[in-house]
Amino acid sequence: MDKKSEMGKKMMHDLPVEAYTSQEWFDLEMKEIFSKTWQFAGLIEDVQEPGDYISVQAGLNNIFIVKGRDGRLRAFHNMCRHRGTQLLRAVGKGKKAITCPYHDWTYDLEGNLISLPKQKEEFPELKGELHKCGLNLHEASVDIFKGMLFVHPNKNAPSIMEFFGEVEPYLGPHIVEELVEYKEKDETPFYTKEIQANWKIIVENYIDHYHLAHLHEGTLNMYDHAKAEFGWAGPHYWFYEPLIPAYAQDVKNASPQPLIDSVSEDKIGAYVPWLFPNIGITEGESAWNTFHVTPLAPDRTLVVIRSKMMNVSEWEFTKQYTKSSMSKVWQHYGNKGKYDGDPETDPMASGDFMLEDIYACEQQQKSLQSPFFSVGAQAQRGEFAIRKFQSVVKEWIEKHQELK
Amino acid sequence: MFYTLKVTTVKKETSDASTISLEIPQELKKVFEYKPGQYLTLKFSIEDKEVRRSYSLCSAPTLDNVLTIGVKRVKDGLVSNYINDTIKEGDCIEVMPPDGRFFATIQPQNYKTYYLFAAGSGITPIFSILRTVLLTEKHSYVYMIYGNKNEESILFKEALDELQELYNDRFILIHTLSRPKMKWSDLWNSKTDLYRKGRVDEKSIEWFINEYPLYAQNAEYYICGPGSMISNTQQALQNIDVPNDRIYIESFGGNTTAKTIEGYDNAQLKVEIAGKIAAITVPKGKTILRTLIDHKYEPPYSCEGGVCSTCICKLKEGKVHMKNNLVLDEKEIEEGYILSCQSIPISEKLEVVYE
Ligand SMILES: Cc1cc2nc3c(=O)[nH]c(=O)nc-3n(C[C@H](O)[C@H](O)[C@H](O)COP(=O)(O)OP(=O)(O)OC[C@H]3O[C@@H](n4cnc5c(N)ncnc54)[C@H](O)[C@@H]3O)c2cc1C
Ligand code: FES
Ligand code: FES
Ligand SMILES: [Fe+2]
Repeated sequence: MDKKSEMGKKMMHDLPVEAYTSQEWFDLEMKEIFSKTWQFAGLIEDVQEPGDYISVQAGLNNIFIVKGRDGRLRAFHNMCRHRGTQLLRAVGKGKKAITCPYHDWTYDLEGNLISLPKQKEEFPELKGELHKCGLNLHEASVDIFKGMLFVHPNKNAPSIMEFFGEVEPYLGPHIVEELVEYKEKDETPFYTKEIQANWKIIVENYIDHYHLAHLHEGTLNMYDHAKAEFGWAGPHYWFYEPLIPAYAQDVKNASPQPLIDSVSEDKIGAYVPWLFPNIGITEGESAWNTFHVTPLAPDRTLVVIRSKMMNVSEWEFTKQYTKSSMSKVWQHYGNKGKYDGDPETDPMASGDFMLEDIYACEQQQKSLQSPFFSVGAQAQRGEFAIRKFQSVVKEWIEKHQELK
Repeated sequence: MFYTLKVTTVKKETSDASTISLEIPQELKKVFEYKPGQYLTLKFSIEDKEVRRSYSLCSAPTLDNVLTIGVKRVKDGLVSNYINDTIKEGDCIEVMPPDGRFFATIQPQNYKTYYLFAAGSGITPIFSILRTVLLTEKHSYVYMIYGNKNEESILFKEALDELQELYNDRFILIHTLSRPKMKWSDLWNSKTDLYRKGRVDEKSIEWFINEYPLYAQNAEYYICGPGSMISNTQQALQNIDVPNDRIYIESFGGNTTAKTIEGYDNAQLKVEIAGKIAAITVPKGKTILRTLIDHKYEPPYSCEGGVCSTCICKLKEGKVHMKNNLVLDEKEIEEGYILSCQSIPISEKLEVVYE
């Protein structure tokens, strides 16, 4: 990515267009960004009891998290030290030791190799205590930030607060640990969708203030976009906007779910930060969501949204829903499609802001290969975050390439 | 190397403990820099005998500009009672610069959970760590359990209450009392449920860790207290798989192994010290260190309790019995290292080298 090779290349803002289309860029980002940052791994309740574990793909690394009897989480690379076989499947409970399916090498929950079949006959060179033979699992790091689990592939990673500390003061006052997750009947997350666009197109859509009043003119108009405040803290983006007065006045009735009580009345609004590189949070008046983006290919990205709400009875939710559906607010705001059409088949007529965003992202991605494509101009306030995000991506890659 | 420091204040904290603050002259600021958890060694001459004792600093390095130690009377103890009975403002005391391997490495950007276990006078280094962490590491959490005989013997009670109030979002303190004076019904009815009855032992630690699970995952465990409190706490932590490299321990000594071993009478000791070679006779039951001091040699030492390892030397020939050893690990002992302050000859001939 030296200056010379960049010259004459077609640019988005700070990144070349091919950063959104080429396999080469995708591989570079996998290696230099997604395998060298704290990566979202789930919510704290995913690993509750000693012996419970989850495994996650974090860039090029597959890492598992397991809770010890002391209540502390440990993280290891999910890879047998014999011939590399992945050890654990997605989630599980009650582990006391970890045995590789291939040749039964066994590790304890500290990652120490504790036994292997036919040690004396087949491995005469492995003498003395097994855990001192240099074949223990590779240790990784795990920590908790605002009720979320994060992993880092290095054992001595910089503290998670060194990474997120600067943006923390801009996040919502929500006490996430008190909320409970809303799941579908089959225990799957609130929302999962594969989108036909580069992951950065989706991030740029998420942090684009300019589009709110236009693409979402009939769906997100219960928030006061004119009063939005946003900026950067370290490599992270922060955003806040209040409710529009009509919604704010009646929010106790109009809110679709019970209001989150850790947010005081004067702090109600939408907090929508983007944590570098690939996790957004949407902290609203009645729901708290993680918006996790996983790049699958240069033009394919998986989005998984998990949603947490107040820990109150089903009955409270039903009561609130009834009050909300009677509120006048929703007669004017929040669910009208931008265009007329069949709401079942046309995203732009759906009245669903997610479908609107997906539509816009996929339509933009389609044009990137066109010989006639170029970015025409940039809104200086409403799109400032997009250029900034691209420069953070670029700096991060350059920094890690220089380190080599 | 000892320096003479002046006592600025003496404060009686409880009926049997005082804090002593020492002034650090400008030119000694560097020499007396310390990490929270470390101790000072003080030298006195009592009844014509030179004695040294170590006392942990309870002051916090970046927050206080005096060095403060807290000294609790030990029954029939020579130095602890001498300090409590005679030391007053304006006195001068001989002090060695701070030392010790029991300390926390504090950094503002740390995001850690500190589990602190203290009992009795063991609060002193813990109090220093506690204050430094809370005031310097704004993201870190402290979970502390502190054992005492009763309400009145709690050292630093007021300051602890204050910290609890100020940092209630990231500091939890549980007091546990072995012989509380109040009726328990009174306590339960009053504002606080942060008192427990009992000692800092395996049971209370298991309860504590289950009740207060850690949030920041980089956890460290600091233990300081008398007698079996340390081994009980360590055992409780090992029972639930806390890795040893996360556990830090400070022992104040005093719990010498019960079994007494007959020393060899008039053992012949050859010693290499400060580049010189000497031959002396060790009376029955006397330590190598004390024998050398009696003969006007100046062997290095500070705690004289088998805790600090300042008096370490290498045994080249012969056999010794160590009354107490709280620092040397198996490997060091295999290599022949001994604590001379704890070593009684049990063979006729011996040879040691101070390296
Ligand atoms: C690193 C270190 C830090 C220390 N920090 C402090 C501190 O902050 N505050 C403090 O008050 N003390 C502290 N001590 C203990 C202190 O150094 C002395 O050991 C203690 O004051 C007793 O000395 P003494 O001369 O009064 O008792 P001695 O005359 O030496 O002993 C009298 C009797 O008491 C027993 N004994 C000795 N020490 C203890 C003890 N600690 N507990 C119970 N019984 C004992 C002896 O076995 C003996 O039977 C620390 C010790 C070390 C090694
Ligand atoms: S690859 Fe795991 S035991 Fe062989
Ligand atoms: S002087 Fe401290 S161990 Fe001997
Ligand atoms: Fe949008």
